[in-house]
Amino acid sequence: MGQLKSEGASERRLVVVGGQVVSILAVLVLWEGAVRSGVADPLFVPAPSAVARALVTTAGEALPRLGDTLLKTLLGYGLAVALGVTAGLLIGSRRMLHRVAMPYVVALYGVPKILILPWIALVFGIGLPTAVLSAALFAVFPIVLMVAAGTRDVDPTLITVAGSMGATRGQIARKVLLPAVLPSVLSGLRIGMIFALLGVLLAEMFAGHRGMGFQMQRLALAFRAPELFAATAIVSTLSVAVVLFLEHLNRRLGRWR
Amino acid sequence: MTVLAWRAAVLLAALAVWEIVARPLDPVLYVAPSRLPAALARMLSVKELPPLPGHVWLTFTEIAAAYALAVAAGLWLGFLLGLRRTLGRIYEPLLAALYAVPSVVWYPSLMLFFGLGPASKIAFGFLLGFFPIVLSVLAGVRQVPQHLVTVAVSMGARPRTVFAKVMLPAMASTMVGGFRAGLALCVVGVLVGEILGSRSGVGYVLNYAYGLLMTGEYAVLVILIAAAVLAVDAAGALLEARVKRWGS
Repeated sequence: MGQLKSEGASERRLVVVGGQVVSILAVLVLWEGAVRSGVADPLFVPAPSAVARALVTTAGEALPRLGDTLLKTLLGYGLAVALGVTAGLLIGSRRMLHRVAMPYVVALYGVPKILILPWIALVFGIGLPTAVLSAALFAVFPIVLMVAAGTRDVDPTLITVAGSMGATRGQIARKVLLPAVLPSVLSGLRIGMIFALLGVLLAEMFAGHRGMGFQMQRLALAFRAPELFAATAIVSTLSVAVVLFLEHLNRRLGRWR
Repeated sequence: MTVLAWRAAVLLAALAVWEIVARPLDPVLYVAPSRLPAALARMLSVKELPPLPGHVWLTFTEIAAAYALAVAAGLWLGFLLGLRRTLGRIYEPLLAALYAVPSVVWYPSLMLFFGLGPASKIAFGFLLGFFPIVLSVLAGVRQVPQHLVTVAVSMGARPRTVFAKVMLPAMASTMVGGFRAGLALCVVGVLVGEILGSRSGVGYVLNYAYGLLMTGEYAVLVILIAAAVLAVDAAGALLEARVKRWGS
């Protein structure tokens, strides 16, 4: 019975993965056909084959740009994680602080950060500091919200029980609080990563002179569609890869719990 | 009551710190809060900036168009993928993967395709708002208890009745969250598009003030736009709470 069930599951998996592959291929073929037959103007929508060629020719110069963007993202992300996790743990564990601070955190989370980007660029100029600050600004509030919510949801009886059984403060923190808070911290870290990358790309598009965001904006204004699509493909593949990696990490830590 | 007092104290303290920090610094770069009312008055009396009402109206219509498209497309695809289970299993992971890409990646391509006018802003707002809506509709459809539908059908309920009396109440609380997130993202998408490159809309006026180093006016605009966005979101939260009560 169990074997039968797993056979059905693997068959279903085959249908799903097969369907995904076929759909993606079908889109590419239709797209290529639309451009070749003149339905789509290659000036705006380049054929997949042209994008692939552009990908090969621009990969060399794209790599250092990608590195530049990633460096800024990591710096801003580090800043946001340090600030966000600390603030989230504090706000989540102190009742009064939570009630006072939460409306502000939610409001700051809701305000479009792009509004302040021109000012950051004005003060810090074009380049690394602006992009790093932009990344931190975009990433910090979702992290605070996630971590605070997770910390607040820790069952207080767990702590009481551990304490009454003679656990030291350090032990409680390590064995009770950390595992309980970890899932929300991790989902905060995952969302923060996407937002940090978003912040860097936006800053580069708005006021940059290097990096993928700047490059993409320049390619768009120069009507170099194949190169632009290639750059878009590189950045989106990279961000999906980063998210999948963080999810993988998440699952492994979940097993440790 | 003490909570409210503390909240007010935090706000006042933030303003005081801002004032103290900004006072001695270059007034072109750092606008102290005490200079905001004068900037607002200047903005209203001296016509240095492009006239606001027209630009606000344009931004508003862009957001409305983007949201209407996102809701229509999200409902259609969400129901399609939710009711056809195999299709759902195939395409939901692809949608989720696309949703995980930092959205601004798509903007240059949209700008290339739709130009610098309102169309590229609507397209970007639509793209941002579409994902939370379609994913929440999909989650909502899956959440409908299958046995309730079976019971209703066997008791002779017509499809329309099943939809209105069984499916909708079960889906509502999940869906309304996605609709709210979608609206917030439509607003963000249109604003981002306008700030990254446009010749009209509030984002353009913001860039204009900033470009001429009218930082006082720029700060006033930022605060006004932020307040408007928060007000829209607060209205959405109220609506969400009502729908959730109705659905449960």
